[in-house]
Amino acid sequence: MEMNSEDRRVHLGYAEAFRLGYSQLLQRLDRSALNVASIALGLSFYTSLLLTDTFYRTYASLGGGSLSVEATYYWLVAIALAVSVVGITNAMLISVQERVKEIGTMKCLGALDRHIILLFLIEALLQGLVGGVIGYGVGLAAALLTTGFSTGFDIILRVPVAQNITLFSSSIVLAVVLSTAATIYPAYRAARLDPVEALRYEL
Amino acid sequence: MSFDTVIELKGLKRHYDVGGETVKALDGVDLSIGRGEYVSLVGPSGSGKTTLFNMIGGLDRPTEGGVLIDGVDISKLDAYELAWLRCRRIGYIFQNFNLITVLTALENVALPTVFAGTPHDEGLKKAQKLLESVGLRDRINHKPVQLSAGQQQRVAIARALANDPAIILADEPTGNLDLNTGTEIIDLLHGLNKTRGLTLVAATHDLKMIKASDRVVWMRDGRVERIERG
Repeated sequence: MEMNSEDRRVHLGYAEAFRLGYSQLLQRLDRSALNVASIALGLSFYTSLLLTDTFYRTYASLGGGSLSVEATYYWLVAIALAVSVVGITNAMLISVQERVKEIGTMKCLGALDRHIILLFLIEALLQGLVGGVIGYGVGLAAALLTTGFSTGFDIILRVPVAQNITLFSSSIVLAVVLSTAATIYPAYRAARLDPVEALRYEL
Repeated sequence: MSFDTVIELKGLKRHYDVGGETVKALDGVDLSIGRGEYVSLVGPSGSGKTTLFNMIGGLDRPTEGGVLIDGVDISKLDAYELAWLRCRRIGYIFQNFNLITVLTALENVALPTVFAGTPHDEGLKKAQKLLESVGLRDRINHKPVQLSAGQQQRVAIARALANDPAIILADEPTGNLDLNTGTEIIDLLHGLNKTRGLTLVAATHDLKMIKASDRVVWMRDGRVERIERG
């Protein structure tokens, strides 16, 4: 048995990894829903503030009165997002603990450490995407409700389209980055599991 | 019967440090297993069966000595080569089946083909054939919890065969099954050993498994106590 030729490699393509990550999320819907909610809550606070500020500025630039968001709120947003991250890290650590045997089995079937990391990060990415979209929607509604009475509800239509797109996409990116960052440590822990101990592990 | 050697254990030792004390799980095992041979590993718990299983499977590294699979010392392989070995050369069967709970029977069996780099459709086709060959044609889209213990072990056997390994390693494969189901699983494994020429190494307490095997390796205190013809 020669061990050095190129085809003696194990693989995990992104399409397959997405398929696996997706079925994990669906099957563990309660925990993934909580992670999504955690991201959505933190992000909705962030986007509501961001959009309120945008609406006020747009209103001012159109000759309305000058309104603004108090700077201290941004501290609160930072804390809210940090709490989301810690919550997700905690949930993902529990998720790793639940799947110890499964991870050991995957390693028996040929999974490399980085395949295990990839699977967890894909779950985080999908949770971040869904949480981001929901959070943005909630944040938008909140911002409209708080500013609408003073600026008029059509203020959203006055914000330049390009700016709306930038706000939306940067919020989603933030959600995905936070969710993924929160999962790095749990994913690393999962990948480092020794298959022998993992297979013997009893929940 | 004579076989050419596929698994060779040379002076194999595995020592653990537990609380400052050295536990000799394996204490100098020499053993050759031939291609197509069916070998049962037997012994009281703590005799080193499971450690030996882990060693042959490339899941654990020896403290001393070597494990040669097809003449290659697997303790010298890097993580990539070891993963390849686990993926392509060895099929594992466990007492607790160890199926992935979120995947269907079909997806479970196809999983090793994913790591082997087999195209998706091809892997599924192969998985379907294997499930049919173990008598689960009507169960391919069931999740593990929807299957009986015997059916789950059949899925696990199909999964072990997914990448056409040369060696099947089984750790108490009938340990969680009732007598009849256990006998069916033994017949299935024995049949695979005979028809496909698979090398089958099984750690077991099951007398029926022991009787079906070509050789029985009796383990005690981390050593081979004696070897009998089955």
